[in-house]
Amino acid sequence: MIDINATILAQMLNFLILVVVLRAVAYKPIVKMLKDREDTIAASLKKADDDAAKAEAALKEYQDQLANARTKAQDIVDKAEKRAQEDHEAFVQATQKEIAQMKEAAEQQIQRERQQAVEQLKGEMITLSLAAASKIVSKNMDADENEKLIGEFIDQLDKDKIGDMPC
Amino acid sequence: MHEIGVRETVQFAGLTFNEETLIMTWITMAIVILIAFLATRSLKMVPTGAQNIVEAIIVWLREQVATNLGPKGDFLCPLIVTLFLFLLVSNWLGLVPFMASPTNDLNTTLGLALLIVIMVHVLGVYMKGMHYIGHFFKPFPIFVIINVIEEIAKPITLAFRLFGNILAGEILIIILLKLVPIWMPIPSVIWLAFSIFIGGVQAFIFTSLSMAYLANAVKESEE
Repeated sequence: MIDINATILAQMLNFLILVVVLRAVAYKPIVKMLKDREDTIAASLKKADDDAAKAEAALKEYQDQLANARTKAQDIVDKAEKRAQEDHEAFVQATQKEIAQMKEAAEQQIQRERQQAVEQLKGEMITLSLAAASKIVSKNMDADENEKLIGEFIDQLDKDKIGDMPC
Repeated sequence: MHEIGVRETVQFAGLTFNEETLIMTWITMAIVILIAFLATRSLKMVPTGAQNIVEAIIVWLREQVATNLGPKGDFLCPLIVTLFLFLLVSNWLGLVPFMASPTNDLNTTLGLALLIVIMVHVLGVYMKGMHYIGHFFKPFPIFVIINVIEEIAKPITLAFRLFGNILAGEILIIILLKLVPIWMPIPSVIWLAFSIFIGGVQAFIFTSLSMAYLANAVKESEE
């Protein structure tokens, strides 16, 4: 059962043949493929890292750009608001000025009309006073002196009464 | 094996050969080569099917070699891979009806063990020179006796461990089939399953021990 004969040599030879064959058929291609796979994986990982870095850089750039755009937009809005404010104030001032002018013009006109009215009234008053005086006094005095006398009276009257009259 | 322990022999060129062992060895070699061929026929970066299995075995053994033998032992990888695949298929071949394991013959196991041990010494002298021979005489010259016994024991234990396990397994299968009636297959099935386990374990043990012995010769010593 445990006799040793030339089979032992044959088995050694068989095994060595098998080693050579397997090395050629299976071992070398598989090791080469493993190496290839390792390389591929390493390359893929590196590429993934690079891509991630690139993506991050791009994101940062976009964020910067966005921030810039926001600042710019804010500036534009601020400027526009300021300008609108200025326009508004200018408009208000112009309007106020116009109103003041109109008011002044109106006052002047009122003043003028009042003056006219006073003048007119004065004339009428003189005529009326003359008529009254001539009737009262019956003696017709010198017309010039008469008018002067009545004018003084009227002036006094004017000063005392008409001048204080609220217009 | 028609009668346990009796081997039919053939004479060739004045030498005696065990006919059955040789035929079974060739069948084993054919199976191993066929598996390797099928698995590597179309190697893909993304492995599928048989490629996975062969690839896993090769990667695993490469790691073992890398840790045990170091970078210098890389060229021994094909030997280790072949050894493991050959022993695995050999051990399991005997469990197929009408087949026998090549490893149930001491010629096979002792042949492999001697091959490994001779390789260990040749590689040791080749890679380490006198330093390798010197280490048999350390720490005292008298230790050479113990060391030589150890070196002789290595192939013998390696060979007999595998031979005994496989032969015993096959014998017990035959005995169980003869002892137990055919309608009671449970003991045979259990023993068959156990033999599958033993076949794998023994192939692994033989391979690891071979690696350990080779490491002595190849690995850089830490002194």
